[in-house]
Amino acid sequence: MAAVTGRLVTAGAAARRGWLPFQVVVRHGSKAVTRHRKPIHILRQKLLAVTEYIPPKPAVPERCIKPWEQEIHEPSILEKLIRRDVEFTFQENKMIAVFQNNSINSEDLRLLRHRLMKHDIRMKFFPNRVMRSYLTDTKYKNLLPLFIGRNIILVSKEPKTKEMLQIVRSSTQISLLGACIEDALFSRQGVVKYSRLPGMQVIRGEVVSGLTQITSQTCQLLNNGPVLLTNLLEQYLKQQGDAVIGQKESATTEQKETQESQGS
Amino acid sequence: MLKVAESKGLHQSLRKCMIVPDAQLPIPSDTYDLILVVGALSIGHLSPDVLPELLRITKPGLYQNFSIVFAAGLKTYECPPSYNDVIIPEKPKLKFMNKVPNYKKARRWMKRLGDIRGPATQANNIAWGQYAIVALGGGYLHWGHFEMMRLTINRRMDSTTMFARWRVNAPYKPVTRKGLGQRMGGGKGAIDHYVTPVKYGRVVVELGGKCALEEVEPFLSEVAKKLPFPAKVFSKESLEEMVKEEEQKAANNQNPWTFERIASMNMMGIRKVLSPFDLKHHGKFTGKFRVPNRV
Repeated sequence: MAAVTGRLVTAGAAARRGWLPFQVVVRHGSKAVTRHRKPIHILRQKLLAVTEYIPPKPAVPERCIKPWEQEIHEPSILEKLIRRDVEFTFQENKMIAVFQNNSINSEDLRLLRHRLMKHDIRMKFFPNRVMRSYLTDTKYKNLLPLFIGRNIILVSKEPKTKEMLQIVRSSTQISLLGACIEDALFSRQGVVKYSRLPGMQVIRGEVVSGLTQITSQTCQLLNNGPVLLTNLLEQYLKQQGDAVIGQKESATTEQKETQESQGS
Repeated sequence: MLKVAESKGLHQSLRKCMIVPDAQLPIPSDTYDLILVVGALSIGHLSPDVLPELLRITKPGLYQNFSIVFAAGLKTYECPPSYNDVIIPEKPKLKFMNKVPNYKKARRWMKRLGDIRGPATQANNIAWGQYAIVALGGGYLHWGHFEMMRLTINRRMDSTTMFARWRVNAPYKPVTRKGLGQRMGGGKGAIDHYVTPVKYGRVVVELGGKCALEEVEPFLSEVAKKLPFPAKVFSKESLEEMVKEEEQKAANNQNPWTFERIASMNMMGIRKVLSPFDLKHHGKFTGKFRVPNRV
């Protein structure tokens, strides 16, 4: 009762202020189930407002704690297959050269392929995504910047750079970016220099000769002293001999002169 | 494949050999004029190393055309679902529903609007098929609705791969109408037609078979729009998800004041404006409507 009168008092006060809800009491007799939405009693409205859903809110908002969503790219079966191929290629071949593919004609590509095949250089195409994921895990990390745009890889077991460069020189759309020859990275100029190197046999010969040069000199060095001595002695003897001959000659010439003077 | 080729009887000789890059094929050199490689020279199948081998067995000097398709991207497709355990019944289409039930004696019923009110307890999960139209409000379905549903679904579905099933009864509740212009009084009117009451959450029609939701959703949603109550197309998983979400919401509600608590304890004398129905259904329903975002 007190609560009701209290309510009336507050309602009266509210009415005097000019604010009252639209429907205070729902008293006319529509049934519970109607086709239209029935006007809701104010108290029920309040109850619904008070008991609304409040979602859970952690002390620190999720977006402050959660790290940036890094797309963990789970490799599909096809990717795994291609990756295996890539691994095999890297293991098998000594020379791996990366070229930029500037939309070469398929016919020109075919010709190029044929010419390269004669020197046992294979042309490989791999998707960049797979290539990059493989390279980041191995020691060939520094090849990563080469595999960005469209590219072709030429691989061969024997590093035949000279032939490769000669063949590729003819086509304008293929340009060398870099190469990894026998686990050593080369830039374009490096590859050119590498191609100018003489063959393995020659270098071996040079190395061997260089190493043995010093040892071959020891004999000469050891002999140097006595040889010099003998040379000097010979020279001395010669000088002595010359001196003797000179004296004799001078003596004979003097004799001749005296004879001539005597004779004349 | 070889058997199919044999049956055609076009080939001189059919052989199955493994082409390996290093070993030689058991075919003498320079035997063939033309080699046709169908979809084999690509990543994952034959490697280009087999080309010298193929070149060897073709006669020299002739035009050799290799058209190799390079894999243009790395799009991998998920395996499509296999519907091996789905059996399509003998009569896959929706059966005809009678306009009038065969009561021995047609009695007039009371209005009993409570059969619309509140949530459905009877058929509220997908039993036979995979996809269904679920009612999201209360209402009555009459014969016209049934015919519309039956005709649309039977026309649009593929009876070889899909089947459909009713989950509501044929109209059984009589609805009376007095003649036009009649004054009040003079007894209850005569039976005009029959209806089926449907509550919130009831499955109306189920669809199943070797089909995906994307195939089925267009025509089912067309049908759902025409029903006298709000309805939606659900799959088994999506229906379960909806139920689970509601439960989760109720569980992690941070508001200490819930409708149930206040109503059951009759706090502030609120039972004056609430009914026993609200006590049971916690303010989620008013009449035949479901109040959204409740708890």
